[in-house]
Amino acid sequence: MSSGIIVRRDPRAERIRRNRLHPRHHEFCQPAARWMGPNGVMRRNPHTVAAIGPNGLRRLDRSGATVTGGPSLRSVNDESHEQRRQVTLESPDFLVAVVPECPEGRLSSHDRDLFGLARQLADRDPASSGAVVAITFDHNAPELADAGADRWLALDDDSYAGYSPETRLTALETVARSWSPRHWLLPDGPAVGSDLGRRLAVRLAGLQPGSEEARAAARVWQVDGDHCICRGGGEHRDIHRPLPQVVLALAECAEPVSETRHEARPITLDTAPVPSIRRVTDHGRVAVDPSCIALDQAPFILAGGRGIGDWPGFHETARLLGAAEGASRVAVDDGYMPRARQVGATGTFVTAGCYIAVGISGAVQHLQGIEHCQRVVAINSDPGCDMVRRADLALIGNGDAILAAVAARLEARQHEEYRHDVA
Amino acid sequence: MTSPEVRVLVSSGRHPVSGRSGAAREDARAVEMALALAGEGVTLLHAGDPADASLRYYLGMFHEVPGLPSVGRVGRLDLLSMPAESDATSLLAEQLRHAGASLVLTGMRSEIGEGSGLLPYLLAERLGWNLVAGVAAIEHCDSESATILQALPQGQRRRLSVRLPCIATVDRAAPAPRQSAHGPARRGQIRVIEPQESAGVALDEPRGQWRFEPARVRPKRLKVVKGGSARERMRAAASTGGGGGGRVLSDLDPEAAADELIRYLESERVLQ
Amino acid sequence: MDQLLSVLIPAALIVGALGAWRRVRLWRQGRPAAVNLLQGMLRMPRRYLVDLHHVVARDRYIAHTHVATAGGFVAAMALAIVVHVLGVENVVMAGLLGLAGLTMLVGTLFVARRRLEPPARLSKGAWQRLPKSLMAFSLGMLLVSLPLGGLVPEGAASVLTTLVLGVLVGWGLLELVVGMGWGGPMKHAFAGAAHLAFHRRPERFSDVSGEGRHPGSRSTALLPLDLDSEQAPGSEQSMGVARPDEFGWQQLLGFDACVQCGRCEAACPAHAAGQPLNPKKLIQDMVIGMAGGSDAHYAGTPYTGQTTGEHGGAPGERIVPQLVEPETLWSCTTCRACVEECPMMIEHVDAIVDMRRFLTLEDGATPEKGAVALDNLIATDNPGGFDNASRLDWAADLELPRIRERPEGVDVLLWLGDGAFDMRNQRTLRSLVTVMRAAGVDFAVVGEEERDSGDLARRLGDEATFQQLARQNIATLSQYRFARIVTCDPHSFHVLGREYPDFGGHYRVLHHSGLLAELIDEQRLQLAPAASGSSLTWHDPCYLGRYNGEFEAPRRVLRALGMEVREMARSGHRSRCCGGGGGAALTDVPGKQRISDMRMGDARDTGAEVVAVGCPQCTAMLEGVVEPGPQVLDLAELVARALVVSEHNSSTLREPQEEVPA
Ligand SMILES: Cc1cc2nc3c(=O)[nH]c(=O)nc-3n(C[C@H](O)[C@H](O)[C@H](O)COP(=O)(O)OP(=O)(O)OC[C@H]3O[C@@H](n4cnc5c(N)ncnc54)[C@H](O)[C@@H]3O)c2cc1C
Ligand code: SF4
Ligand code: SF4
Repeated sequence: MSSGIIVRRDPRAERIRRNRLHPRHHEFCQPAARWMGPNGVMRRNPHTVAAIGPNGLRRLDRSGATVTGGPSLRSVNDESHEQRRQVTLESPDFLVAVVPECPEGRLSSHDRDLFGLARQLADRDPASSGAVVAITFDHNAPELADAGADRWLALDDDSYAGYSPETRLTALETVARSWSPRHWLLPDGPAVGSDLGRRLAVRLAGLQPGSEEARAAARVWQVDGDHCICRGGGEHRDIHRPLPQVVLALAECAEPVSETRHEARPITLDTAPVPSIRRVTDHGRVAVDPSCIALDQAPFILAGGRGIGDWPGFHETARLLGAAEGASRVAVDDGYMPRARQVGATGTFVTAGCYIAVGISGAVQHLQGIEHCQRVVAINSDPGCDMVRRADLALIGNGDAILAAVAARLEARQHEEYRHDVA
Repeated sequence: MTSPEVRVLVSSGRHPVSGRSGAAREDARAVEMALALAGEGVTLLHAGDPADASLRYYLGMFHEVPGLPSVGRVGRLDLLSMPAESDATSLLAEQLRHAGASLVLTGMRSEIGEGSGLLPYLLAERLGWNLVAGVAAIEHCDSESATILQALPQGQRRRLSVRLPCIATVDRAAPAPRQSAHGPARRGQIRVIEPQESAGVALDEPRGQWRFEPARVRPKRLKVVKGGSARERMRAAASTGGGGGGRVLSDLDPEAAADELIRYLESERVLQ
Repeated sequence: MDQLLSVLIPAALIVGALGAWRRVRLWRQGRPAAVNLLQGMLRMPRRYLVDLHHVVARDRYIAHTHVATAGGFVAAMALAIVVHVLGVENVVMAGLLGLAGLTMLVGTLFVARRRLEPPARLSKGAWQRLPKSLMAFSLGMLLVSLPLGGLVPEGAASVLTTLVLGVLVGWGLLELVVGMGWGGPMKHAFAGAAHLAFHRRPERFSDVSGEGRHPGSRSTALLPLDLDSEQAPGSEQSMGVARPDEFGWQQLLGFDACVQCGRCEAACPAHAAGQPLNPKKLIQDMVIGMAGGSDAHYAGTPYTGQTTGEHGGAPGERIVPQLVEPETLWSCTTCRACVEECPMMIEHVDAIVDMRRFLTLEDGATPEKGAVALDNLIATDNPGGFDNASRLDWAADLELPRIRERPEGVDVLLWLGDGAFDMRNQRTLRSLVTVMRAAGVDFAVVGEEERDSGDLARRLGDEATFQQLARQNIATLSQYRFARIVTCDPHSFHVLGREYPDFGGHYRVLHHSGLLAELIDEQRLQLAPAASGSSLTWHDPCYLGRYNGEFEAPRRVLRALGMEVREMARSGHRSRCCGGGGGAALTDVPGKQRISDMRMGDARDTGAEVVAVGCPQCTAMLEGVVEPGPQVLDLAELVARALVVSEHNSSTLREPQEEVPA
């Protein structure tokens, strides 16, 4: 843990975390545990949930919130950064600007891919070297050096907090005027992730009407020389076109940087962005109870069927796992689960990244409902049943007993964490 | 509360399996959101080919749903006639400027053509209107402003208020569209508006140099497992890469099975 | 007395006629349709005596009772008019009148006996009064005839007895003659007679079954909706039936004929499963809607989970949900058990589908999974949303000949149906292919060009999508030459054979049971006798049996396999639905139990090891019942298992033999 760039402790962030009334409290307290991958599949960040204190121990924040802290001991970067080659660049010939989304205040894997692409563009020509400038709206964005940024412009004024597209856009416009980056790279993700990039694209295009250069490329998934490939509407066509100034790139558009580490040298703007009137007001997040998330949007589901004998135990395990509950039709018919929780042909089609089926035999009508689940785990006493055949991992045994053992372990684990904290 | 005037920008979509043209899924959600909000105050708007039959799908959504505002017996769609391959922005912007609507809903991206999702932004920029992206619900709307729930990943929501006029793009997390019924679809009125000379339909020139090709399958990124013991790397490689069938572990006592499960969930980053 | 009657009878007739006129007006609120009045009236008696009694006779008790009561009444009434109104008074006449009264009285006693402890399916209320009224009339007529016949001295009647007699006859006339026109239980006689005369499906009667819309059929095809005229731009007319007055007038007349015998209720699988549907109540609700009012006076079993008195309607008001909740309509499996049982030949399924048509075509209110299936049908030509080009993927190794490659034509065109996308049904299809190859049948498949038959869309009320699919399939089939179509899906069998003719597609369609029976009859299959003692039971699919009258072919095949065929409690034309028809598997209206569980119970009760099926839908429904229970095997699988494999075609056989569990 020798890097001085990774901000391990941020007194301001900690202050905000403790102050529940602070307008940005939620941002600092939300676990950056999950985000949407390229195909709308939920991914999880393994480095969150419990933070690692300065002494390397897991600790719980006394504010009661889950802390988004620095990297854990098992961080991928830590393991590899000893072998990384340090790169410094004093006088770049041109700039490639990257505006990572930093959902929940830290780089996502999509952001890292974007930096990978930025490096590809900056380092393309050995004769003229480009610098990658990261522009973040959060002082708390670490890991930029490992991600591949040579320079770092942090715009961390409160006016950029939350959903503040107008102020952010004016800031980027000021950057464009001041430094004229050769390329702008922004993530094109599902939902709001792609918002700022489109605003910038349109604003910059307006500055140079009619120029083809100025017509942004959206949904770029590959850049090759000075051409790029965009995924067209409806996913059925690719568009090959010259690489423009503004590139909105999909996840996995390039490999993230893994061999080198860069300076991420902080820089500032000479001219302050003109403050703009905010016509969109962010009232903050709305509390959404995990158990109320519609089944078809739930990222992780524990489902029970006729093989479940101990339903209270089932519910308890689901709670400890943080999984939404699903059921087979028989479990619903028998009255153990509400109808809205039925998975399958006549229930809900689910898209969970991980689906655990306990005591469900895997009738076709049920399997239809989990067709789009990425990973399926079967817990069943019958090794020959269709669910076992469908599963990526099958555990043969008594479902109730296995769930009870899982619950016991998770519970013990929570206690342990608590003890660590007290110690 | 008098229902506000709402326009919905729609265009036809493409079925992911059959490739047949039909409704675009996000556009249909936008129509649903508009109808649930404003009922009879909703008019659909499209710039393109007047012969496009799939637009009728949206008109088929003009039927009553218990508990929601009345939509009237006949759906309304204004169609700005325009040759394919031309730029719809100026036509739509002119139409919206004069339409008197203050709220415009649309999907995030079109399902055919470029599908860049830039159109709503171009319109907002040209009209000087506000834009909110990724709307999951509209909680309130009057003639001045709207309160909106914006969709965030993982079923999360953020509450925003925005001054009108505003263009809002509707996220997939928004409520599912109502069924499109045959009767209202046939009955719905499509008003074809021929562009005025002055509107100047610009041919979309840069696109002439683009090459459209069938989508290539994007290579799956291999899971790079760095660090860990050799045994862990082996296990990680075996658990996913090994084409087809999964692992079946029998003869485990519940304790061992629980350990296996937790280890698996951790390796798949479902559990920390 | 005589004078009293000569006044009472004409008065009752006139008042009754006024009531009848009002009744006719109620019916004529429906959509117009031309009928031949005279021809209908002439045909009526035979239809009553032959066709209606054919149905009534399934319940011998009530059949005999009805003959005595109704026959006695008609005769007594006619004679009374002759004697008392026209004044033809002689001993013969009096004797006849007395005899008629007596016959009626005997019948009435049986009616009364049934009403002492009525079975649950019978409606109570006014119907409990009917035996007493009948008794009053018949007794009155009998007694009145006595003095005329000289059995009692002429003057013996005191003022008191005259008065009593007058009241008896008056009461009887009020119920029987006035009530016939003005409503009340006896309305069924008038409405029933008119219904028989002007039935919307004349093919159901033996007198015209050879002619008409669907010659030679049991007239089970749904009637097409004229989409173009009913939805001309600007037309205020909606498609399907939203309000009682949007039914055809003959349909309203039909509803009015209901005797509330509850036979339909007893037959209805959805009702038995505790879903909110009771066909008898539904017909009564339609009558309430036609006449206006609430269902508070309905005296039969309500829809499960609902109480009477909370719903009501009027001719010009929406039926759903004021009068009938949508769940009621979506519970129906279109199994036709009710229609089959109804002694008044009322068409429940037509009515239900008409109302569904409105809900789907105008209201966009198909239940969720049903709406998804319809969207899939529109986008992909099959309800599952599969790539239609993959319809033959399962058979890649079988190298099935395509009809496209056989311009000279084939004997059998094998219609795969949507079961081709279902792994379970693919086993059945494989077996069928094996058997056909073993028998040397000259066949080919349509393959990727085949689309869903449209059955599901049509039963869910989406006539537009159905007609689209029908037209496209007909256009496809018109390019090829084949002698007949064979399918293992009774729904395709019915729709292609019975419903496509309305759109210009005329084919000879065979269910695979028919083909298998034919192959066995012609001894083209070598079958090994089954292990002795093995038994099975046959589940009649609704769309094969009740819809198309094919009960025998599958049984013939099963017998040829040498297995003992045990019949379930409900079999043949009274077979119980599997619960999967009419889109009910998708709409999945909650009940107290599942229809498929009840049906599996029927099968279990026979003690048979195997329940043989002939429909992909039945297979799915019955296999969806949790174990243990008899094994579910398709007819084709059973035949394939019994095939004696000869050397040269063993290669095609190996596969399915491995797949079919022994
Ligand atoms: C038209 C239709 C639509 C349907 N739609 C749906 C639908 O949408 N969703 C749906 O789920 N089903 C649906 N079904 C029902 C489906 O066919 C099956 O009946 C149902 O899915 C079976 O539920 P199950 O797996 O819980 O029960 P079962 O099939 O009885 O399986 C129970 C499983 O639990 C295992 N087991 C028993 N005891 C234990 C134990 N102690 N520990 C571990 N395992 C144990 C058994 O080995 C078995 O595999 C539908 C059926 C039909 C006909
Ligand atoms: S509809 Fe037919 S079967 Fe049902 S109660 Fe009426 S007369 Fe009887
Ligand atoms: S068709 Fe079958 S399910 Fe429908 S009402 Fe009649 S008996 Fe009941």
